[in-house]
Amino acid sequence: MRGILISEFYESMKDELQLTLVAGKDGLRRRIRWAEINRPGLALAGYFDYFAWRRVQILGKVEITYLRSLKPELSRTRIAEILSRKVPCIIVARRYQVPRELAEGADRLKVPLFRTPLITVDLIDRVTVFLDNEFAPSVSLKGNLVEVFGEGVFLEGKSGVGKSETALGLVARGHRLITDDVVRIKLRERKYLIGSGSELTKHHMEIRGLGIINIQKLFGAVCFRKENQIDLAITLEGWDPAKEYERLGMEEDTIRILGKPVPHLTIPVRSGRDMVLMVETAALNHRLKSMGFNPARALDEELMKAMGAR
Amino acid sequence: MRMEDTSNSKVEEKFRIVNSLGLHLRPARMLANLTNRFESDIFIKKDSEEVNGKSIMGIITLAAPKGALLKVTAMGADAQEAIEAIGKLIENKFGEDDE
Repeated sequence: MRGILISEFYESMKDELQLTLVAGKDGLRRRIRWAEINRPGLALAGYFDYFAWRRVQILGKVEITYLRSLKPELSRTRIAEILSRKVPCIIVARRYQVPRELAEGADRLKVPLFRTPLITVDLIDRVTVFLDNEFAPSVSLKGNLVEVFGEGVFLEGKSGVGKSETALGLVARGHRLITDDVVRIKLRERKYLIGSGSELTKHHMEIRGLGIINIQKLFGAVCFRKENQIDLAITLEGWDPAKEYERLGMEEDTIRILGKPVPHLTIPVRSGRDMVLMVETAALNHRLKSMGFNPARALDEELMKAMGAR
Repeated sequence: MRMEDTSNSKVEEKFRIVNSLGLHLRPARMLANLTNRFESDIFIKKDSEEVNGKSIMGIITLAAPKGALLKVTAMGADAQEAIEAIGKLIENKFGEDDE
């Protein structure tokens, strides 16, 4: 079942959040299945309707101070009630001393309990960003991703059409490769399509006739980026004389990735067409369009004026 | 036999632009997409200016408004079909819905 093991969460975030595992280490096989956090103030006060037990529970100043104000038996009961609802884990912020009742309860009911020196808002921000990323819808698509003049260009097309060669040409011209062959795409914050590559092969490309090359070794650190937004998708395909290709660019074609529309162009490949230059120009033109200038529409307006004048 | 007769034919005809917006960018694209389907060389002349009928940029240069008279010349095996198709496109106002 989907979800992140607490042990994975701990492993990934212990440095950034400076986490210490205080109690409940037998619960590290629990899973976080919800991409949000909860501050269980009302639950500590005894109100359990709609208690968001699936979420990571965060205790800040208010919660800890309130717990301390309770009589030990009451505090123990409330804590047990929260813990027995299968909360994934609890994090105490601001380096607070963990109340004894809480640590005992966490050990007994096997709920991992962490502590961090971070202040509460900072902790919430970082945990939310991490969870949002982990739970983001994702997909892997064949193709490569290159950042060209600041635009993330996803190049796709049939095997052998020259995707890698085009990407290599772009890198040689000072643009940045994110990944060749397979792009892992995540929808962050339900808005941004972010593409990245595999850790293992991120600096490598396979070029027919040359074999595997390491582009970072060949071109240096400037040629590489870990991830990038996808702004434009380009399909490269062999020139089909029977097909009518876009000749104006007045309307925008789009494809959908994870439900989000992405501006899309189909560029036919033919000898005599410098694909690197094509992609560079497409990226710049897309930039121009997103700034509100559509060259075809502007020309059309001038043309209409000219026709009126004659 | 008829095929051989028309293999190098040259067909010329005059058409008047009837859609209200004239030969703007969208019609120019439709025209170029159409002419590119034919083998024949196609030229379009307005006043003293003649352009390649397969080039969008060429067609645009004509800046032909409603009422402009175009002389279309096609040379090649399918010249007759080309002229007929071009005539139909222009008469049908490039599919534009105007009064």
